[in-house]
Amino acid sequence: MLSATATILLATAFAAGVTGAWSPCGFSVVETIGSRRAQVGGRTVAASCATFALGALTGGAVTFTSLAAIGMLAAGGRDATLVAVVVVILALTALGELLGMRVFPQIRRQVPEPWRRTLALPLATGLYGVLLGFGFTTYVLTLAVWALAGIALASGSPVTGLLIGLGFGAGRALPVALMAPRYATLGRRLELAMAERPVLLRRLRLADGALLAAVAVAFVASGSTSAAQRPQLVATDGTDPSRAGSLLAYERVDHSAAVLVDGDAIAQRPADNVAIGGRHIATRVGTTLTVQDRQSGATVAQLDAPNATQLAVSDRWLVWRADRPGGGDRLWALPLPIAQAMPAAGVARVVAGAKRRAAIDRPALSGDHLAYAATTRGSSAIVIANLATQQRRRALATRGGQLSQPALDGGRLLYVQSSFCSQRLRVVRTRTLRNPRTLLRIGSSARRDEAHEHGYSTQGSEPSRCPSGTPGRTDVLLWTTALAGRVAYVTLLRPGGAGAVPSARIVRVGF
Amino acid sequence: MAKRLSDALAGGTSRRGFLARTSGWLLATTSGAAALAAGEEDAEAYHFCGHIYTTASCPHPTGIPRVDMHGYPLRARDGKPVDDLGRPIDRSGHPLDEQGHRLTDPDGRPLPRAPRTRICQDGIPDRYGFPTQIDGSWYRCCGGKVRRLMDCCAYHRTRINGDTALTGYCYGGRRVFCVMYFQTQVPC
Repeated sequence: MLSATATILLATAFAAGVTGAWSPCGFSVVETIGSRRAQVGGRTVAASCATFALGALTGGAVTFTSLAAIGMLAAGGRDATLVAVVVVILALTALGELLGMRVFPQIRRQVPEPWRRTLALPLATGLYGVLLGFGFTTYVLTLAVWALAGIALASGSPVTGLLIGLGFGAGRALPVALMAPRYATLGRRLELAMAERPVLLRRLRLADGALLAAVAVAFVASGSTSAAQRPQLVATDGTDPSRAGSLLAYERVDHSAAVLVDGDAIAQRPADNVAIGGRHIATRVGTTLTVQDRQSGATVAQLDAPNATQLAVSDRWLVWRADRPGGGDRLWALPLPIAQAMPAAGVARVVAGAKRRAAIDRPALSGDHLAYAATTRGSSAIVIANLATQQRRRALATRGGQLSQPALDGGRLLYVQSSFCSQRLRVVRTRTLRNPRTLLRIGSSARRDEAHEHGYSTQGSEPSRCPSGTPGRTDVLLWTTALAGRVAYVTLLRPGGAGAVPSARIVRVGF
Repeated sequence: MAKRLSDALAGGTSRRGFLARTSGWLLATTSGAAALAAGEEDAEAYHFCGHIYTTASCPHPTGIPRVDMHGYPLRARDGKPVDDLGRPIDRSGHPLDEQGHRLTDPDGRPLPRAPRTRICQDGIPDRYGFPTQIDGSWYRCCGGKVRRLMDCCAYHRTRINGDTALTGYCYGGRRVFCVMYFQTQVPC
């Protein structure tokens, strides 16, 4: 589901694309396709409209996603100064549109005319679509196109760039799809109106200006030039979220209860730990672990597990964390369901932490797949293990930082990556494990010094400095996570210390 | 810097030009973290006390490249050990608050340890992809204590600044990639 900012941005890009129909190329393409109906037939005209639309969408996506990718490399996004600059540019552009100012800079170029004569019509219109979708290869009819390019660049978010590109491409494609197939009737009438009633273009530019102003307001409200959804508060006093279907479960920070939220229905039950997955719900009360069927409430397994602190459950497994003798943590796994006559504790086996002394985070399950983060003194890694085949792989690893709090769902891995500069909530596809996407970034919890001693030059201190735009220091840690489709949950933990009680809240981020 | 010092060394001799060139070459090949001879006013020109050349710091979790005798990171202002995230830690590696108490999670357990790796021997190879080691070092008086200035050495012609690396206190063909220091408890 799109955020309000994304919706306004999409509408602005679409309107800018439609405005492009008034360009020399816009008129030409409608005429090129529509006037050939008698020669090539209705199917070819329809195919040509389709290839034009496909080309326009592709061109738009390429241009604006590329600009956003460049912005990402230059660390765009949530920098306050950048947001202020973009808002000022948007305000000026909106004013220009509202006043009907001449478009500047203008690109006085057109698509190659010979293509309509030398190439098959669907191919020619497809290529025309790409060029018009690019946005900056032909005449620009609205200042909004330049503003959208600036937004894509400043957002540093390829998703935002893609959104703008698709909106712009769709806007360019719509007039052609509407007019060309009915060129002899509706198409000619609309073309005449476009050509002889300047007020239509004027009104469209007024709409462009109003939408740009709305985008500026949305940026000011969100403090970001990215259309990505902002975190939404889910629970003010909760930790360790898990989700299955529409049900969200978490624990109260004081361990007074487990909370189950399904839409507007909220239920509580006494538990120190809770996890849901598949058709099961697992709870810990003291040293007793219980797995129940969520629908029937029937107990699937119950066992005594001393020192258990974290749970994960799926249709086929229960996994819990327990202290390892001599230090570190272990993960135990119990296959589900187990025969009634069989003692559950006897069937459980150690699946992590058996050999090495490592700190292991809260486990995560998706079917047979278990994900956990293991940190030793020398490195930190997230391991994904198939509990059925007992195969495992180090999905991600780092030295000089920390990987923690994984969650698995739908072929995606959600995790927290921390460095001395920042903490990031990231998601990556488990198949490729490449190009992770950052959903949330906050500052590091460490207090940094100036990187040079007092009274000395700053020269030479550069390698230890954090990149510009790095969020400021915070006392909050990105803690336990949950993933359900394209919704990520993360606990924001303020740790306990001398006399201070830990506090935590859960937020959700869509992506 | 090297030119100014070589001029001083060669001053007043009849073979001034030859000596200036020779001493300039000598200084250029030995000035990494610390030069052979320089006064306190020279040291103050760079980003931490005792460092008298332009080679930049090794990346450090809290900023100023203070390490312990083994090369693990310490917080410069109080010498407390820090992990790779820059958090002060106890002997077992658990993070502490500013009062020295263990930070705890909602279960009351200490927050999990983060890795703690050596700045030169582990951090640079991970980040830059080539092996490094500490060869020699130089000692100077800083803040009333003797400070050991250490060069992180590599078989690499370019230093962390991005320009040509110098020999400094590196041996066997290695050159100074970046610099750090260990603060002793020896008064001076």
